[in-house]
Amino acid sequence: MAGILLSHTEKVYITHGVKNEYRSDGRSNIDYRPMELETDVVSHASGSARLRLANTDILVGVKTEIDVPKPDKPGLGKIEFFVDCSANATPEFEGRGGEQLANSISNIMLRAYQSAQAFNLKQLCIFEGKQCWKLYIDILILECGGNLCDAVSLAVKAALFNTRIPFVKAALMDGGNVDLQLSDDPFDSKWLDVGSAPLLVTLCRIGEKCVVDPTAEEESCSLVSLIVGVTGNPKYYNDYEDEEELPAFEAKCSVISMHGPGSVSPQNLRDAINQGIIAAVCLDEALGKTLFRERRDTEQFKRHSYGFLK
Amino acid sequence: MPLDYKRFNGPEDSVSYKRFTADYLKSYDELHSELIDETGHRKDGRAMDEARPMYVRGNFVSQAKGSSYIEMRGTKVVCSVFDPREIVHQNEFSTVGLLFCEVKFAPFACKRQRQSHVPDSEEKALSVALRKAVGPTVCCQLFANFQIDIFVYIIESDGSCLAAAITAAGLALANAAVPMFDVVTASSVAIIGDKIFIDPTEDEEHLAMISPDTNTNHGVITMARLNGLMQIADFRQIGSLDIECILKVTDILEQECQKVFPKIQKTLVGYVKNGIMEQKRLSEEGKAREAKLKDKMLEWRSSIVNNSV
Repeated sequence: MAGILLSHTEKVYITHGVKNEYRSDGRSNIDYRPMELETDVVSHASGSARLRLANTDILVGVKTEIDVPKPDKPGLGKIEFFVDCSANATPEFEGRGGEQLANSISNIMLRAYQSAQAFNLKQLCIFEGKQCWKLYIDILILECGGNLCDAVSLAVKAALFNTRIPFVKAALMDGGNVDLQLSDDPFDSKWLDVGSAPLLVTLCRIGEKCVVDPTAEEESCSLVSLIVGVTGNPKYYNDYEDEEELPAFEAKCSVISMHGPGSVSPQNLRDAINQGIIAAVCLDEALGKTLFRERRDTEQFKRHSYGFLK
Repeated sequence: MPLDYKRFNGPEDSVSYKRFTADYLKSYDELHSELIDETGHRKDGRAMDEARPMYVRGNFVSQAKGSSYIEMRGTKVVCSVFDPREIVHQNEFSTVGLLFCEVKFAPFACKRQRQSHVPDSEEKALSVALRKAVGPTVCCQLFANFQIDIFVYIIESDGSCLAAAITAAGLALANAAVPMFDVVTASSVAIIGDKIFIDPTEDEEHLAMISPDTNTNHGVITMARLNGLMQIADFRQIGSLDIECILKVTDILEQECQKVFPKIQKTLVGYVKNGIMEQKRLSEEGKAREAKLKDKMLEWRSSIVNNSV
């Protein structure tokens, strides 16, 4: 992605390491790097999150706006993704340099969120055919350290989990128009149901093997990477008192896409998809539990955190 | 969305009359039951695992270096490939050649809405997908700092556009004598519930993209394959599918791509044969002409000798 200059010997070193399931930073092929996640960092956004995955730094803000639903989908809200590659990350992004990368990330995010089984747009409906919520998800890439797609999808899910949608108090019909009254109380709001939102896992093919969470150096050794979007399990994001009422869950692929100039063998593809789903399910469980614990702490005023932008 | 000012666009809050037609107001279940009849055949009489017949030809555009035309009943695609040319507006030397792909719908190509002349996001996404799919097969290292232009024009669209575009681009590249590793073919599949539609039409694709209320599988998968090398050049899925379904469909798609392969091979071999025949014919004609000239020369010489004597 961003230009990293590696000599031939360095590339050989990384490739041989991956072949023996041992990577230059000590991880195995299926390990993620440690990450830091903070939610509610931007005060002017309805929901926000900041994720730091080793050297990759992502800030996501969710803004809500009232809009008219599309005529062919009267009962659904809208969602839009914008990716901004800041020139802080690398000088290559200056001007329109990061545009292509930004478009490819926002495209794949949009495709991953398209199915109702991934993210149900019905919850954004206010008045069918007349008014709905539109979510603007602004993704800011502050630093590039490899594995942008995974980091972006994690940060977006955390930001959506953190998003409050105000309750609408009254909806009066006035000559066919809808008159909405929103409460002034910022706590008079509902959380979004994002349990099933997808997480993306990038599998980089290096030599004959696939690795998850590639660093920028590893990315430059690989010709092709596979991105798998897997829906999350709502169990970890909600407080179900009764285990019985849990809906039956099965991780599903909401998007698969290949990037880079290379090709893969069919067996490699199958293994990679399987590996991607396993990684995504683990990641989703960890993310869900952390976010849910954080929300409970905030609600009970136990949380005193000082971090980024605070 | 940018407006086309050459057309009368109507008031801002106007909606298409099509929204109130009986066809449009059908519910999901109605649409679903319409796709398959009682005998298990699809609307156009195909079985579920039957692809549409395909017409393939090359040398379709006389101005282009290589070109192709593919027709699968309602889907008609033209592709042309031009000579490598130097990359414009580039300040750095690139050691590998670039592919520039553009997919364009004709304004009248789709039955749901009119396509505008300005490239929309779908066309851009298709262009990116096409570049990814044909990228692995072109020997890019052979033309450093050059780019090859591939233009695909979708004249009529009735589903499986991307698959048709990739196959057409592969054929056009070979037709243009661009050095390639392998022939690339593509195939696509729509999944609705437990039903797998091979080579879907527009209606089937449209329904596969709508999420049903129940938690069943739905989605579209397109795969591009390098048939000689048995490699997968591109794989893209959208929708929501479980893992067993994806793995099953991967096998089906591989077979489907393999089925298209002989058609492309046959077409290409046909052009090579024609080329050789043409060359033979031309060289024979040339030889005949030369022999005639020689005779004339001898005649002329002897006439000169006779005259001087």
